[in-house]
Amino acid sequence: MLRDMTIGQYLPGDSVIHNLDSRTKFLSSILFITLLFFCKNFYSLGICFAALLIYILLSKISIKYIYRAFKPVIMIVAITAIINLFFTNTGKVLFSWHFIKITDQGLFTALFYSIRIILIVLASVMLTYTTTPTMITYAIERLFSTKYTYKGVHTFAMMMTIALRFIPILTDEFIKITDAQKSRGASFDTGSLTKRIKALIPVLIPLFFTSFKRATDLAFAMECRCYKGAEGRTRYKITHFSKKDLFVFVGFVFTAILVFVSNKFLSSGSLSL
Amino acid sequence: MEEKIVFNHVNFDYEISENNEVNNAIFDLNIEIKKGEFVCLIGRNGSGKSTFAKLSNAILIPDSGKITVDGLDTSDIDNKFEIRKKVGLIFQNPDNQIVATAVDEDVAFGPENLGLPREEIVKRVNFALDSVDMTEYKNYEPHKLSGGQKQRVAIAGVIAMKPDYIFFDESTAMLDPIGRQQILELAKKLNEELKIGIIFITHHMRDVALFDRVIVLNEGKIAVDDNPKKIFSNPEKLKMLGLSLPEVSKLVWQLKSEGIDLGTDITNIDEFVDAFYLYLKKIG
Repeated sequence: MLRDMTIGQYLPGDSVIHNLDSRTKFLSSILFITLLFFCKNFYSLGICFAALLIYILLSKISIKYIYRAFKPVIMIVAITAIINLFFTNTGKVLFSWHFIKITDQGLFTALFYSIRIILIVLASVMLTYTTTPTMITYAIERLFSTKYTYKGVHTFAMMMTIALRFIPILTDEFIKITDAQKSRGASFDTGSLTKRIKALIPVLIPLFFTSFKRATDLAFAMECRCYKGAEGRTRYKITHFSKKDLFVFVGFVFTAILVFVSNKFLSSGSLSL
Repeated sequence: MEEKIVFNHVNFDYEISENNEVNNAIFDLNIEIKKGEFVCLIGRNGSGKSTFAKLSNAILIPDSGKITVDGLDTSDIDNKFEIRKKVGLIFQNPDNQIVATAVDEDVAFGPENLGLPREEIVKRVNFALDSVDMTEYKNYEPHKLSGGQKQRVAIAGVIAMKPDYIFFDESTAMLDPIGRQQILELAKKLNEELKIGIIFITHHMRDVALFDRVIVLNEGKIAVDDNPKKIFSNPEKLKMLGLSLPEVSKLVWQLKSEGIDLGTDITNIDEFVDAFYLYLKKIG
């Protein structure tokens, strides 16, 4: 199970969305999530949902993965909804029993926040589903590099690349060490929580030890290949903005205008946020 | 300027050495390795083999004495990158020297650092991957490759910098026999086709036979510097240096002590078979 896990899972594909410039995907996800915070009623939220739906359909990602994406956040959504539902006191009372009081305003906020969280999760997951981690790193490096920041940005991007590179290696090593300790009688899945955490110490210490060894080796290897930071470095992989990328931004601007129009001219009656 | 690596009375000691038995130091070392040579550097643990490699590409600077690569002094900080461009180093564990998350991007890492124009980088990446036979794995993630394949990617990463010399620092130690054989053959090919000087560091005698020149390092000094046939013909000395003969040579010496003399310059199985055949023919 641990072996299959990847951070920011990428689903290979050849759709229009997959082939967009990674900078476009990165920027549009951030802009879209920001836009979600400007939504004031269900109409504007609906517009955002429609826009995201078009994006998902274009990416040809199966509904199974979309569902899988928000399974881990169901708990967060549920807690937010319950808190909003029970602790909002304003508005018309719909139901009351002893100290529990549910108002129409509470129902509205609970529903509204739940939908917003789900949309945020979907928007960020769509970025990682359609873009490789390397290309996301690349997007960050290209977008934030300026005359003054390029050194820091490059260092950060290099750190991310190396981290991504070593996730599978350290995962394998973790499994190997765990197996080795198990074969010597260690138990990781019995006993109290503290006991289980303590059982991990003999796994983590060798893991840390070898990580430092790896880091030293890698630093040597990078020096041998003339690495000297961002200074005077050129790039092998370069992407260019194309017409498709322009369409995405036009689409976003269009969605944003609709959201602001509906915020202003359509209201949810007496209910507000 | 003649193209060669020259060590001139080089001393080097690591500052911290808690156990002095294995300290990898180098003492008063003099040696010349010319471009295009096919050299094997052998010695037991702690004999200073890896130190030798790291001194050659200015990762380490000698305490005293002078090392020059094609006339460039390694202790001059301005020469650092020029020397590292000329002298490539392949380490033992391929996992710890692959930087990027895709094969071609990793091969491009060196040329990117050199600040080459993009077209040139693309050209070099294709060339390097082709010369190690890894073109079809161009877009693979490194962790999905076998050990031997990963090591070939690491070699491609060095070739892409167009070096004059490549040090293989026990680069076959973690590989299976097939992977090991492939890397040895690749080293030979690079030497013959690209005229790259190869310095193959190992502690296994079985790797030695293939090379033109063998340097035995012992306690930071050169104990023997000769061709493999000569070296195999002196088993007592090897034993004294903590090295053992490869199986074939052992057999030859054992047969000799039993009175069957096949000659002492046999380094591989084919030569042994030929010599034994001739011997059988002779005795009828």
